Amino acid sequence: MQPSTGFIKTVGRTASLLELGAGFHPELTGRENVFMNGQILGLKNRDIERRFDEIVEFAELEQFIDQQVKHYSSGMYVRLGFAVATNVDPDVLLIDEVLAVGDEAFQRKCLNRIRQFQREGRTMMFVSHSPELVRQICDRAVVLDHGHMIDIGPPGEAIRTFGRA
Amino acid sequence: MAITTSAPAERPGDPPRPPGSVAATVNKPRRGVLEHVRLVLAYRELLLGMVRKELKVKYKNSALGFLWSMLNPAMYLVVFYVVFQIVLKNGIPYFPIFLLSGLIAWNLWSVTLGAATGSITGNSSLVNKVYFPREILPLSAVGANLVHFFLQGIVLVLGMVVFRFDVDLGYLWLAVPALLVLLVLTSAVAIFLACVNVYARDTQHLLELALLAWFWMTPIVYPWGLVARSLEGEGLSSGLALLNPMTSIVLAFQRAFYGITEAFGEGRPGVILPDEGSLWFLRNLGIVGAISLVLLVLAVRLFDRLEANFAEEL
Repeated sequence: MQPSTGFIKTVGRTASLLELGAGFHPELTGRENVFMNGQILGLKNRDIERRFDEIVEFAELEQFIDQQVKHYSSGMYVRLGFAVATNVDPDVLLIDEVLAVGDEAFQRKCLNRIRQFQREGRTMMFVSHSPELVRQICDRAVVLDHGHMIDIGPPGEAIRTFGRA
Repeated sequence: MAITTSAPAERPGDPPRPPGSVAATVNKPRRGVLEHVRLVLAYRELLLGMVRKELKVKYKNSALGFLWSMLNPAMYLVVFYVVFQIVLKNGIPYFPIFLLSGLIAWNLWSVTLGAATGSITGNSSLVNKVYFPREILPLSAVGANLVHFFLQGIVLVLGMVVFRFDVDLGYLWLAVPALLVLLVLTSAVAIFLACVNVYARDTQHLLELALLAWFWMTPIVYPWGLVARSLEGEGLSSGLALLNPMTSIVLAFQRAFYGITEAFGEGRPGVILPDEGSLWFLRNLGIVGAISLVLLVLAVRLFDRLEANFAEEL
């Protein structure tokens, strides 16, 4: 996609947490989808193989990994999606409004993983309508209104602008 | 638009980065043809994965699975055999072998184009969200149908065994250059149709009609000799029929697998295939192959121009 103005400068591998199930094919098994998804994010098969166990463990889907994902619940979908996206070793991770799904324990796990990424100096772009999550996670926030940037700055200030808008 | 990139610093213990992973995230509006080729090669595991996915998904819940790929041409064989050989008595010896020799090539062409045209519009959720070389989508249609081509080839071989058909081994090798040329031509048109369809969704419907007409304009069900005779009857050169690139390709397949150039006598069609040496077929393939390569370059350039706005059009 081309930006309508300006430019995008990225360094390294970008991974995105896809919309619920966008990267998954319902007829394929969890295992097959992990490979598909990893390949789409630019990984080699041997890299995926090496990380496979970790991905499955993170998603807590050990028992279901060889089932077709059409039998998964939406929580399982998101868990697998998040597990793949954060295990492909991205330098930039785009998270678009998906964390709302999944149970509380898993949400906590995701937040921990996000914190870990922050400590490791990776870049994350987190899109959300939840001021609470933005306050918890981000160190810089941008408020968009119909595609126009109306505020950029520390999350506290941005959230106040967001509340007024 | 200013674009800058640099390779990221490797963290200790990092696995080696796959080629293309750095350039992949660059928001660069235009890429050269070679750059496209390089990216597709860098993502070849994704391409293979997509091909495998398409094959798997197609037959996932069917009991017969891959056999369906073979039953389709087998059914054609039976129907066309009954209609043309028994009802219409076209007199072509070993008609099923003749038919299948051209038909498997045609199927690779037409089924691929049908699948490739909707390949980007049908995967909008992926195209909108992640970067990967988008040509992978139409090219995976080519790959999946190449597998079908070989499965249908098995039907052809079985047919040869059943009908005790003697293959002219001296021309069999023609199938190799013919397949290569067919793949280049198909890839070019597949890439072209896939990106055009994003902007003009009528493309897929138009394609169906075009392919229907094109099929009957290509000597697959009827022999080349018939076309040549009518053209020459009008005082025209039979070479005019070669303006259809699929004719050159289909003729080469027919010469390779079928090879009966003529059958005279009561109820026989006369000339079936051009009575020419392998060089004649090779020359035609060379011309079509060269044109196909040019088309491929043009298609990739058009694709490059159009793909910048895919996300907005999908």
